[in-house]
Parts: sequence; C-alpha cells; structure tokens
Amino acid sequence: MPPKSKPAEAKAAAPSEDVSMTDAPEADSPPLILDEHNPAIMAFGQQRIRTVEEQDADLLIQLPGSHEFAASFEFTKEDHTLGNALRYIIMKNPDVEFCGYSIPHPSEELMNIRIQTYKSRGVEGTGANWFAEGTPTEALEKGLNDLIDLCDVVTEKFQGAQEEYGTKMKA
Amino acid sequence: MDYDPMIMDTEASGPSVKITEAGAHNVDFELQHVDLSFANSLRRVILAEVPTMAIDLVEFSANTSVLADEFIAHRLGMVPLNSKNVDDVAYSRDCENCTDRCEACSVTLNLHARCTGDDIMRVYARDLVVDGARANQWVGTPVITDPEGLGTVICKLRKGQELNVKCIAKKGIAKEHAKWAPTSAVGFEYDPHNRLRHTDLWYEEDPAKEWPPSKYANQEEPPQEGEPFDYDAVPERFYFEVESVGNLDPDAIIQQGIKVLQQKLASVIQTVTEGEGGDSNGMNGGGDYADGPRSPDTGMNGSGWQNPGYETPYGGGNASAWGGGAGAATPYGATPYGQNHTNGWS
Repeated sequence: MPPKSKPAEAKAAAPSEDVSMTDAPEADSPPLILDEHNPAIMAFGQQRIRTVEEQDADLLIQLPGSHEFAASFEFTKEDHTLGNALRYIIMKNPDVEFCGYSIPHPSEELMNIRIQTYKSRGVEGTGANWFAEGTPTEALEKGLNDLIDLCDVVTEKFQGAQEEYGTKMKA
Repeated sequence: MDYDPMIMDTEASGPSVKITEAGAHNVDFELQHVDLSFANSLRRVILAEVPTMAIDLVEFSANTSVLADEFIAHRLGMVPLNSKNVDDVAYSRDCENCTDRCEACSVTLNLHARCTGDDIMRVYARDLVVDGARANQWVGTPVITDPEGLGTVICKLRKGQELNVKCIAKKGIAKEHAKWAPTSAVGFEYDPHNRLRHTDLWYEEDPAKEWPPSKYANQEEPPQEGEPFDYDAVPERFYFEVESVGNLDPDAIIQQGIKVLQQKLASVIQTVTEGEGGDSNGMNGGGDYADGPRSPDTGMNGSGWQNPGYETPYGGGNASAWGGGAGAATPYGATPYGQNHTNGWS
C-alpha cells in the first residue's frame, strides 16, 4: 500500500484503542475464578513456574501453586533463537492448547514461555474434576526433545545434500 | 501422546536441504518444509553463536608505530584465525586446567617487526607467529586467502619504528564480540514474490516495476493476476547464503550452528529434569507442584525473591485482580521492573 495512507489510519484508530488507567479492575471486584473455560482465567489466573538457568549452577525453581495444565517458564540467557523455535515445536504437540513466548525487555536476558495444555474431564467419584492431557512441564520437555530431533534431521539432510552436490560436481 | 512433529507438517517427507552453490568460502542452500521460526533460529545461531578463535588479549612490549596500542590491539582482534575443530579448545573462563589461561584454552601468537629500510614497511597477518603448544594443529593460525599469501595489513612502519606484541587468542562467540563471527554475512530469504505480504514494499507508482525481481524469483511461481490472498499460507522454502570469513569451512559453520542449537536445548532439558528431581511427573504434587523442589526463597511469604525489586503478583500479597486480592494490578501484577505490586496502577 502507499506509505502515505498509513499515518492517517493510525491516527484515527488510536483514540478508541486507548483505555484509560481508571478502567483497571477495581480492588473489590468479584473474583473471576469461576469459569475455568474463560481464556482470560486460563491465561492469568495461575501461578508461574520459573526455570532459572544460571551460568554455573543450573537451577529450576518451581513456584508453588501452578496449575496442572498451565505454567510459565522463565529462561535466563535465552532469546528468540530458542524461544521462537521452541514455541513452534511445542505448539505442534496435540496436547498443547497454547504456547507463546515473550522477551519482556530487550535489555534483560530473559525469555518467558507460557504453555497451556488441554484438560479432559475427570472420572466421577475420583475427586479430581479435571485431568491435564499432559503437564506443561512434560510438553516443554517434549518440545525440547522434538527440537533436538528436528536438528538431527536437518543435519542429516544437509550432509546428504553435501554428498549430492559433491557427486554432481564430479560428474 | 505419540506423534511425529514432522508428519504433521504439510509434507510428510519432512525437512529437506538442497545445496545450490558451494565454494571454499560460501555455501548457498535451500531449506524446505521447516517453519520460519526454525529457519530463523538456524540463521541466528550461525550468525552469532558458532564458536571461533580470535585474538582477545594483546601485550605490547614495543610500539613505536604511529598507531596507538589499543588501535592495533583492536585491529589484531579482527584478524580471522583458523578455527578448525575449535571444540578441542576450552573456553578460557571455564577451563579446568588453569586459573588464568593455558594451551588448552588459548593460543599465543607473537608479532615482532622493525622497519630498517628506507621504504615504508607493512606488517601483515602472516607475520603473526603461533608460539608454543595449542589444542590442535589448526587452531589459531591466521587465515590467509590472498594469492600473495600476506593476509590483512595490521599496520605500517616507517624507518626505525618497531612493533613487538604478544597476542593471546581465545575461543568465543560473535554474540559477545563480532570478531568471533564465523560468517561475514548470512543471506536469508523466503517468499521472493512477497505472496505472504510479510514485506510492505515501498513504491512511487507500481512496486512490480520499481522493485527488481529477487534472485530466487524464478524458483517459485509468481502470483496470478487477481489471485485472492491466501491467509493460510506459510513460508516453506528458505534460501540461505552463508559466507565464511575463512576461519571455518562454510559447511562446518552450518553443522556447528545446528550443534550449538542442540547444546542449548540439551542444557535446558538438563535444567528441567534436574529441577524435577526424582519425581518426573509434575502432576504428583497435587497439581500445584507443592512437592517439587524449591529454592529456599519460594516460601513467598512476603520475603520475595533473592533479587530485590522482582516480584510476581503471586507472592504473599496475593494481589492479583483475578485472585480477588487488594491491588488493582495487571493480571501479571507488577512488571518485573516495578518495585512491588502494592501500588499497581496508581
């Protein structure tokens, strides 16, 4: 599109999107943890897991209270290189409902991954209402392993292509 | 639970690689049937995280040239050094054999030049002499590719001027300093006809006339006139052009790149599995990971993290709006940069 039209559009759209600070939820508003299907609850209602990779002492800290089917992981010293590829491969997992990553601030070497897995209804009488199809931790581990496998395949294919190119040169 | 991530892709065959051109210093290839995110990870890792050797410390015994010490030190750092089988070299910072540096984690190069003639003398990279033992026979040798076998010019000396330095080369990655870059450039292209509209081409009148066709334009079908936009389309073919500086073979750069990516993943896996301890099933903790290992600070009773100023809304305050807490914080509570969540929006 012609570049000229852009600023005008942006200007028009801006005011309606801007929500004032006072629209933030009131302190005494009713707790929203009623409907577990509400995506907003899914996204925000649970606690976070924190994976802290330290340079010499690897450490995993899990925050208490994280749900069976939703967790966030914080990676230190990682960026888009790992984040985006991992996000993609975790999303490929059919047990995973949502996976996203973000880098909260470019000056901090932190990368967060959020994983939510599907849940299935629990068996009556067992006390559990919901079962996770697989925990986020499992999904994370599976994602990591899948990405390693993908790397292996690409290495293999690359070596194959090299050989093919070499034989083509000789012929 | 069992699935093959690759079969779920559009092509059952999975990723494929085709080399279109390869030389001593470059390799052009096409990577197909992988996601953009993976192709980009590969590009990033090749560009910034493949380890190589470069001069990192320079001790000056004599420098009567017109250039300042630090100026020459910087130039020396930029000299590409052979990094074949650089895995044999340890990172100096985590070398187990020494406290400072040793043959296992560094290579020493000496440079001693004095101009005695009337003509101006040039000091070249070939004048760097590898001194003493090193991890393998290749590592640390200056890369010389010009037909005269001179290498890059480090400085020029007039009659009577002298340069005598001891250089210590170490292993590193380009993320830390560009002198450790294995590549001078990594070309990365996909969707030459911009069918996906990932690019907004600037134009005066007609982008088709004003923009030259891509080198790879004939590799893919041009869009038909009036063709509707396919919003489900994803990039599938990625054209890489890897150009080596000379310190590593171009194919070695790619393979090392993939390896680095795998090592990254492996270290995260280790962290995840170690953190879980013997209990690999996270669900056993009654759903809240209560039985999982904790760091001492995860009591969260207002004591906060070790790192002051970094608080999640899930701490003792229970201030998340969703949790019916007191603070009108965002769902994530205070940002990591805030002091705490008590004053939220106000």
